[in-house]
Amino acid sequence: MKEIVLAFIGSYGPAILFNIERKNLIWAGLCGAIGWTAYRSVLDLSGSSIFAVFTAAIVISIISEVMAKILKTPSTVFYIPSLFPIVPGISAYYTVLYIIDKKIVEATNKGLETLGSAGAIAFGILLISTIFRYINTHNINSKG
Amino acid sequence: MEVREVLSIAVLSGEILLTSGSEIYRVEDTIDRICGAYGIKCESFVTPMGIFVSGWAVNNENESVSLIKRIRSRTINLHNIELINTFSRNLQNTTIPYHEALKILVGIEKAPYFSFIKRLTAASITSLAYAILMNGTFVDGIFAAIISILIYFILERMKKADFSQYFSHFICSFAAGLISVSAGKFIDALNINAIIVGSIMILVPGLAITNGIRDALHGDMLSSQARIVEALLIVTTIGVGVGMALLLMKYWM
Repeated sequence: MKEIVLAFIGSYGPAILFNIERKNLIWAGLCGAIGWTAYRSVLDLSGSSIFAVFTAAIVISIISEVMAKILKTPSTVFYIPSLFPIVPGISAYYTVLYIIDKKIVEATNKGLETLGSAGAIAFGILLISTIFRYINTHNINSKG
Repeated sequence: MEVREVLSIAVLSGEILLTSGSEIYRVEDTIDRICGAYGIKCESFVTPMGIFVSGWAVNNENESVSLIKRIRSRTINLHNIELINTFSRNLQNTTIPYHEALKILVGIEKAPYFSFIKRLTAASITSLAYAILMNGTFVDGIFAAIISILIYFILERMKKADFSQYFSHFICSFAAGLISVSAGKFIDALNINAIIVGSIMILVPGLAITNGIRDALHGDMLSSQARIVEALLIVTTIGVGVGMALLLMKYWM
């Protein structure tokens, strides 16, 4: 529970730094908290951080696309701040720190983890946004 | 409206999008949409470093107009992306004359930002949250928050003074490392690692790495390379900054 609140703050704060509109701030924070919950629970169940990140990315982008439909804003506004807690910035930093320390094995591990989770997040978002785009165009076609 | 005027509006919108950290496909989409709204055919090629557009009237294919716009600085400003998005969608419904469109775009460029104090507070609570998430205690969080206020302040000042972003990130991470290690010297119970990680959380380019890979998945290979290389350079400067601070403190004390 404590972590969920922290993840909420951890998406709400960056949302201010990224300058999103005031009325959307709270939704971005909520989306981040749900994403973090998904990440933690999958991580505890499976033990694979890349799989957990992938699941969280999928959850976050589904919520962002739905919110974007309801609140009529681009979905970027929601998923950029809410991805902030799970994005692999810190593991990229550890990679460099290990290289400086000449711990090459640890550096390789962290580096691969960074690339893997970045790829997983990107692929998760792409998957969901493609599906939603297909649904949108399909709706327009069937109407017209 | 003339082809040249339509293109200049399209390129200006693209420029605002790109400097606000938008994805490449959105910029190309917007340019196509604005040109299409005025009944002009266009072909656009967008990279994070610049926009290349050339357009022509439907009935006169021989006379095309080209515009190139170089982009130098990129930040993340999601509000601008939202505003341009609604602007281009409104254009599709009702086209407006050149000067009105230009006025709207200039207004978007100067759209209000959160006040400096609010952003400082946001940076500090972000660092507090991440320091505690990285197994720190509340006291660690407070230290991280103080450091992050300081480095966000330095970062913004250096951005205004037009320093290179690598240099300012280096200075900020060096300061973060230095302060947290010296705080750890005085108070034994502190978790130095959590403080450092929490305070540099507002610097690390995790989103840039992810966006780079997303561009690659969309088929924009050139911009993906550019973004990933930029992110790698930034993360290297941060790592070197903190690493130097750690080494320095090890030999000094």
